[in-house]
Amino acid sequence: MLALESVGYTYAGAGRPALHDVNLELQDGEVVGLVGASEAGKTTLCLVASGLAPRSMGGTLTGRLMLDGVDAAPLAIHQLGERVGIAFASAATQLSGVSGTVYEEVAFGPMNLGLPASDVIARTDRALAALRIGELAGRDPAHLSGGQQQLVAIAGLVALGPAHLVLDEPTAQLDPAGTAMVAEALVRLAADGASILVAEHKTDLLAGICARVVALDAGRILIDGPAADVLGDPRLPELGVVAPAARRLRRAARDVGLPAATLARLEEALA
Amino acid sequence: MPGLALEAVGHVYPGGVRALDGVDLRIELGERVALVGQNGSGKTTLVRHLNGLLRPTSGRVLHDEADVASATVARLARSVGLVFQDPDRQIFAGSVRAEVEFGPRNLGLGGAELAAAVDAALIAVGLAAEARTNPYDLGASRRKLLALASVLAMRTPVLVLDEPTTGQDLRGVATVRRVIDEAHAAGRTVIAVTHDMDFAASAFDRVVVMREGRIILDGPPASVFAESAWDVLRSTYLEPPLAATIGARLGLGATPTDAALLAALAGAA
Amino acid sequence: MAGPAALAVVAVLLPAAVARVLRRLLRTSLLLSLPIAISALLINLFFFPGGATLLFSLGPVHASAEGLAFATEVLARILTISGAITLFYLTTPASELVLDLEHRGVSPRIAFVALASVQTVPAMVERAATITAAQRARGLDTEGSLWRRLRGVVPLAGPMLLGSIADVEERSMALEARGFTRPGRRTLLWWPPDSGRQRLARWLLVAAVPSLIVARAAGWLEWLG
Repeated sequence: MLALESVGYTYAGAGRPALHDVNLELQDGEVVGLVGASEAGKTTLCLVASGLAPRSMGGTLTGRLMLDGVDAAPLAIHQLGERVGIAFASAATQLSGVSGTVYEEVAFGPMNLGLPASDVIARTDRALAALRIGELAGRDPAHLSGGQQQLVAIAGLVALGPAHLVLDEPTAQLDPAGTAMVAEALVRLAADGASILVAEHKTDLLAGICARVVALDAGRILIDGPAADVLGDPRLPELGVVAPAARRLRRAARDVGLPAATLARLEEALA
Repeated sequence: MPGLALEAVGHVYPGGVRALDGVDLRIELGERVALVGQNGSGKTTLVRHLNGLLRPTSGRVLHDEADVASATVARLARSVGLVFQDPDRQIFAGSVRAEVEFGPRNLGLGGAELAAAVDAALIAVGLAAEARTNPYDLGASRRKLLALASVLAMRTPVLVLDEPTTGQDLRGVATVRRVIDEAHAAGRTVIAVTHDMDFAASAFDRVVVMREGRIILDGPPASVFAESAWDVLRSTYLEPPLAATIGARLGLGATPTDAALLAALAGAA
Repeated sequence: MAGPAALAVVAVLLPAAVARVLRRLLRTSLLLSLPIAISALLINLFFFPGGATLLFSLGPVHASAEGLAFATEVLARILTISGAITLFYLTTPASELVLDLEHRGVSPRIAFVALASVQTVPAMVERAATITAAQRARGLDTEGSLWRRLRGVVPLAGPMLLGSIADVEERSMALEARGFTRPGRRTLLWWPPDSGRQRLARWLLVAAVPSLIVARAAGWLEWLG
C-alpha cells in the first residue's frame, strides 16, 4: 500500500504550499483516478507520491509518504524506483535516449541497479510481457508511435518491480488509439497486483478503468470515493473537471426538463 | 482572401514518407472546420501547408484562387495564423504581454493599434490580469492559452489551432470554445486539429476525417458521425460522440451533439 | 614519394576496403583535408625553396617541379592522417565505443553523458525546426534581409534554450527515478567482444609508436622517403 499521511508540500521559492494536508491510500490492485483543475496540484501530488518531490525538486515536505508500511523519508531516489514508478505525459523525455532498441530501454532501470545479468533479463522479459510489447523488443524507440513509446516508458518503470505506479496525464499527447493502449495496459498491471494512481483530464477514460477517484481542489483533496459516485458528483464542473460524457448527457437531460419516461428511455440506452 | 483550397496536394517528406496523398479541400471564409484522424494521418502536415510552412510536392495551395507557391511564410502569416500544439516551442518573452506583442509587431502593428490588439487577445483568453507575469510562472495549460492569444492578436482572417483542448481543464476548454465562437462571429475562418470528437461535433460546422494522408470523410457533424459513417470512422480507430451512439440506438436519426440528442428526445416525447 | 603513398595504402585504404567503407572514407577525408590541402599545394608549388625546374608561371610567381613533388608528398601525408581519423569514425559506432569504455571502468554516468550528447542531436534539430516553424507562423521573417534575420535570434534561441533546460530537468527526474544516480557500476548486458588477436594488434600498434620514432631518429627509415 502507498499512503500519504497529512502531506503538505511547498515548492522551493514558492510563497504558498501546493498541497495541504493530503491523506490518500492506494491499495494493491487498485486503480485510482486523480482529477482537478489545471494547477490544482495533480502533478505535485504525483511528484510527492513518487518521492521525486522533495528529493529531485527541492522544496519542503510535511507529513509522510509511507510505502508498504515503511516511511520513505530516508530512502534515496534510486532506491525509490523499486517501490514506486512515475510516468509523465511526454514519452520522449522519459526514454533514456541512448537505447538503440526497446529491449535495452526497458532494461535500463534494472541495469542501473547493478543486478546480476540473469536478473536484469528476467525483469525485462517480464515487463515486456506485462505491457504486451514483446514484439517491439528489437525496434528503435525513437521510431515508435506515441502510444507505443508510452508503453515502452511504462515497461521501463515496471521492470524495476515497483508495487506502485503513479502516472501524470499519460495519455495527454496520445491519439484515441494510443489512449486505449495505455488504458488497457493499466488495467492489466492492476490485475497483476500493482496499485496505480493516474491523473487525467479525460474522465471517460477514468470511468472505464478506475475503482476510485480523488478530486483535488487548490491543493486539498475534496472528494475521495468510488469512481461512479465521484464522477457523477455535481461539484465537478466548479472544480474545473469535465464530467464523463454519459453524466453530462444525463444532467443536461434533467436540466432541460425532459419528461420522466424520456429520461428512462435515455437511461436504458446509456446502459 | 475569402477561401482556402488544396488541389490534389501531395506531400512526401525527404525521408520518403508520403504524408499527404492527393488531398482536395476547399474551405470558405467563415467556416468552422475540425480536422480529425489518428497521429500520422496527415492532419498536421495539411495545416502546415495553409501558411506555407510546408510546400506541396505535388498539387497546389490556393488562397482566394491564387497559388501561394511564391508567397513567403511571413507574408502568409498575415492571412493564416497557426497556433502550435506545444506552447513551449514558441514562448521566449519575459512577460505575457511581450509574448503576445511579437506576432502583431511582425505584421507591422504599433502604438495604440498594437496595444488594442494585445489587450483584446489577453481578455479573450482570460490572461488580462497576468500581462506582466513571466510565462513560465503560468502552468502549462495557461501557457497554451497564451500561445493562442499570441496568434489571436494577429487578427488573421484564418485561425488554425493544433490540438487546442489537449491538457486543458473545464475552464480551459470553455475558453477555447468561446474564442472560436467569437472568431466565427467576427467572420473569421477557424480550423482546428483535434482528437476530441465531442469538441469536433459541437464547436464546428464541418468535420474532415483523415487517414493515411487522405480525406475519408468530409461534411457536417451530423453526417460524419451518422451511423452510416461509423464503419469508416472505426477503420481509423475513431469513435463517434456518445450522443451519436445513443441517438442511433434510440432511432432518433443523426444526433452528433448532446444538444441535438436532447432536442430529438424532446421532439419525440 | 613512394613512402607516404605506400603508408597511406597500407595503413588506411586497405583496412577501409576490408571494412567496406572505402568510398565514404575517400569522400569524407578528402573533404576534411581540402582547405589545408589546397594551401599546402599552393605554397609548395609556387614557393618551394630550391625549386629550380620551372613548370609554368602565373604572373610574378613560378611553379617548380621540385615544389610539385614536395607538395604531393605533403598531400599524401595529410590524407593519411585525415584518412586514419575518418577510418576510426566510420568503423566505430559511438554506442559501442561508450559501452566498451564503461565495461573497462568508466563511470556509467559519464558514459551516458558522452552518448546522450550525440544521440540527442536529432531531437534538438527537430525541436529547433518546430520552434522556427512556430515563430515563422507568427510572422518572423527568415527569408528576408540579414538584419531581419538577425532580429530572429532571440525568438529562435529563447525557446530553444528554455525548452532545452526544461527538457533536461524532466529527463534528469525520469533518469533518477530509474536508478541512474545509484553510485557504482551498472550491469551491462552486452559489450563489444574482444579477442586475443585484437589485443595483440593493439599492443603491437602501441609499441610501434616509440619504436618508429627511435628508428626514424636513428636514420633507419630513409628508404621509406
